[in-house]
Amino acid sequence: MTTSTTETTPVIALPGRTAALLTGLGAAATAGSALMPWTWTSEYPGDLTFYGSPAGLQWLALTAGLVTLVLLLATQGVPGLRWAAPRRSSNAVLLAAAGAVAVGWFSVISIATDLGGLAHLEPGGWVLAAGSLLALAGSLGLPLDRRTAVPLRILDRRLFLLVPIAPVVWFATHAVPEDKPVAPVLTALAGGLAIATGGVLLVQLGHAANSWLRLGTVNRPLPAPRALPSWVEVALIVVAFAIGLFAITFGIDTEYGELFTGYLLLAASVVASLGRSGLLPRLRALTVKYQTVTTGAAFAAAASFPFTQTSDQYTSVATNILIFATVALGLNIVVGLAGLLDLGYVAFLGVGAYSAALVSGSPASPIHVQFPFWGAVLTGAVVSMVFGVVIGAPTLRLRGDYLAIVTLGFGEIFRITMLNLNGTTGPKITNGSNGIPRIPDLEILGWNLGKPTTIFGFELGRFSNYYLLMLLVTAVVVLVFARVGNSRIGRAWVAIREDETAAEAMGINGFRLKLLAFALGACLAGLAGTVQAHVSYTVTPDQYTFAEALPPNSAFLLAAVILGGMGTISGPLAGATLLFLIPKKLEFLADYQLLAFGIALIVLMRVRPEGLIPNRRRQLEFHEADADIPAQATGDTVALSKAGA
Amino acid sequence: MHDLPQQLANGLILGALYGLVAIGYTMVYGIVQLINFAHGEIVMVGGFGALTAYLALPGGTTLWLALPLMLIAGILVSTLTAVAAERFAYRPLRSAPRLAPLITAIGLSIALQQLVFAFYPDAKKARVFPKIPGDPFEIGSVAIQRSDIFLIIAAPLCMLALGWFVTRTRSGRAMQATSQDPDTAKLMGIDTDRIIVMAFAIGAAFAAVAAVAYGLRSGQVDFRMGFLLGLKAFTAAVLGGIGNIYGAMLGGITLGLAEALATGYIQHLPGMHLFGGGAWKDVWAFVLLIVVLLVRPQGLLGERVADRA
Repeated sequence: MTTSTTETTPVIALPGRTAALLTGLGAAATAGSALMPWTWTSEYPGDLTFYGSPAGLQWLALTAGLVTLVLLLATQGVPGLRWAAPRRSSNAVLLAAAGAVAVGWFSVISIATDLGGLAHLEPGGWVLAAGSLLALAGSLGLPLDRRTAVPLRILDRRLFLLVPIAPVVWFATHAVPEDKPVAPVLTALAGGLAIATGGVLLVQLGHAANSWLRLGTVNRPLPAPRALPSWVEVALIVVAFAIGLFAITFGIDTEYGELFTGYLLLAASVVASLGRSGLLPRLRALTVKYQTVTTGAAFAAAASFPFTQTSDQYTSVATNILIFATVALGLNIVVGLAGLLDLGYVAFLGVGAYSAALVSGSPASPIHVQFPFWGAVLTGAVVSMVFGVVIGAPTLRLRGDYLAIVTLGFGEIFRITMLNLNGTTGPKITNGSNGIPRIPDLEILGWNLGKPTTIFGFELGRFSNYYLLMLLVTAVVVLVFARVGNSRIGRAWVAIREDETAAEAMGINGFRLKLLAFALGACLAGLAGTVQAHVSYTVTPDQYTFAEALPPNSAFLLAAVILGGMGTISGPLAGATLLFLIPKKLEFLADYQLLAFGIALIVLMRVRPEGLIPNRRRQLEFHEADADIPAQATGDTVALSKAGA
Repeated sequence: MHDLPQQLANGLILGALYGLVAIGYTMVYGIVQLINFAHGEIVMVGGFGALTAYLALPGGTTLWLALPLMLIAGILVSTLTAVAAERFAYRPLRSAPRLAPLITAIGLSIALQQLVFAFYPDAKKARVFPKIPGDPFEIGSVAIQRSDIFLIIAAPLCMLALGWFVTRTRSGRAMQATSQDPDTAKLMGIDTDRIIVMAFAIGAAFAAVAAVAYGLRSGQVDFRMGFLLGLKAFTAAVLGGIGNIYGAMLGGITLGLAEALATGYIQHLPGMHLFGGGAWKDVWAFVLLIVVLLVRPQGLLGERVADRA
């Protein structure tokens, strides 16, 4: 849309500079509260009882307050800080302040509920709650980028029938005597209706808030950055990746669920506000300019992760994240580039893992051979690819929907077959549900990955070794993805994804290229599977299911690709990291995790089908109908391929 | 081979079950070209709806009275779920790229499973479903469980009713018109939104009948029952020619027979003695799907596999 429908006005009109003053005070109070005790007892995890020494959640509040403060000063044009907000958009301040409220109020509420009452809060906690709220209120008085009119959306009126129905069912439930067998069912139903009603009202409230706030994007071109010597620019990239490594390490190393939740809230708000302020787009422009340096810095940052760890506790987590992310990236070739929905992708990981396990020299394997590492990798990748071709060849000639269901079936059949090859219901190959245990550690060029090694005086444990090996595999997959994606083949895939009929009319052999994508995806998953088999010592059929509470499984892999953004490299990596860490860190979710996951998929498809880190072309495709994609949505100044969108 | 009649009867009954579920896939696909992955879960919630009705009745009610009530409850729950899913999950995505509704369907399928798993009391394990008591009927050398009588009566009745509805009623003919060409149907004054809802609702009602039949047969319902049943039913729909309602039933019966025969006889083939029995029946069903897609992708009664896009 054009700029005529946007304006820059405050939501709450405050005289003069009061708004900025209030925001600044609030942000400073939020940051300052980190130096005060939040609670009197060390029973709350992280021990938040000291003056002047922040711990756990307090670090997060400190960061949130400081980010808000810096962005505020930058948008006000304070010399020396203006680099932080090249676009001078006060919306960035609002987003940061919202993050401060989220972190602050989450901490306070969590302390109060964990310890049982507001009485357990020390002054710091009150300062935090009041300060962050003050910052948010103040930032609503700043000149914000808004749309001139947002009509109030009312949900389907039939949904509001829930409001009278829910209490009726509730009372009806209490009328049924408790010893009746149906009573617990009714209780659950009444609870469910109550939750649904709450959800409907909440969404409606959100719509109301949206039409009140009317936040939007004013087209603010990113001013040209000051010319810097190239070594400074390179140094900036390195610093950025160092900060990134620190942030991710912090996330992986969080020791309790509360801290991780706070971390997620903070990270989301900081990324959103820095994106809006123009700092991240500017950084992105730099990374585009120095692509080699960026790639190098990214891998250097990833490779230095094990050196930041003192024990193997979190490197094992990181290794598994890397396996998950690599497989997700492989799936992204199939789903994101070629547009083929593969619902049994984890089976190809399984094929690779089982192949590697069978030739690993494990005493439980009926084939008594021990292939060297390269041999095992080759076996896993090739066997996986053969399965990909066998499954793909008959189905890829047909419409895409058939592939989805055939791969779903294949995933299930793979598991059942591995269970059956146990000697009683079938030939004895895989030991059925016991799997193939005691897979020996890899030995590459005389380096036994199972034994701790010392590099530069750092002792690296078993998982650190595998982490580094897996990073190599990831690098291979990233390389394949980038090179193939930008080649003639990759463009043909995208063409097929967009419109197969038109692509074939242009002379593309649709079937052959789809088969290639499918087989390549299978091959890369098999490759990752060979390493996975050695990392986890044992392969069992239950590691490779369609949907399970813990990744990797086919549903989570697909979700990682979709959540992260189809067709990009960083998308699935970010999506996989999030999807691995969330179930791992938030154990209290256990029973509801998959439920939340299913609902999240539905909501995501409604709200943001292009994912967190969207591919530009993909984003335009999904939003063809609504005209108001800001041309600067992700901020880079590259001209759009679809003009006028 | 002396138990061949028994195996055929088993296959026929199992196939009728698949066919009932397959109708739901085929009707929705015929009209909106969407594989409703969540259809297996629609079956499952129907089963739990029927179970709830059974639990609500006073203990000792005869099954002859309970069964119709359970059926009604199951149909109610299934239909409501399917219609709500159509309205709030699929309809907003009708013009989106085709990956979006497919992914929504997967999300829906997981969410429905987990809703039952997390909130239905004691649903973490399978819950007992009533069976029709009494000895099996013996007809010659074939024994038929009493619980299967329900399916033997219900499946043909449902098919007759559906056939009558689609060919003889105004709504049914509107449905045919919509599936042939939605845009022209709209121009002719057909409310296609209503037709789509109707297709979902009919599929869900059949799913609930299938769920009750499944519960009676196996004596239990559990939150995972929709997954494999849905997969098999989809196979049946493809086998019969997706989009064709009679094809769905024919495909179901073919698949049921193939499964029964594979379970019973495949181990007698030379070199296959280890691949028979119940453990491998799902694998053979899947192999059949692949073979059909390879040899006759349009299915037994299907005419074309046109890509309308």
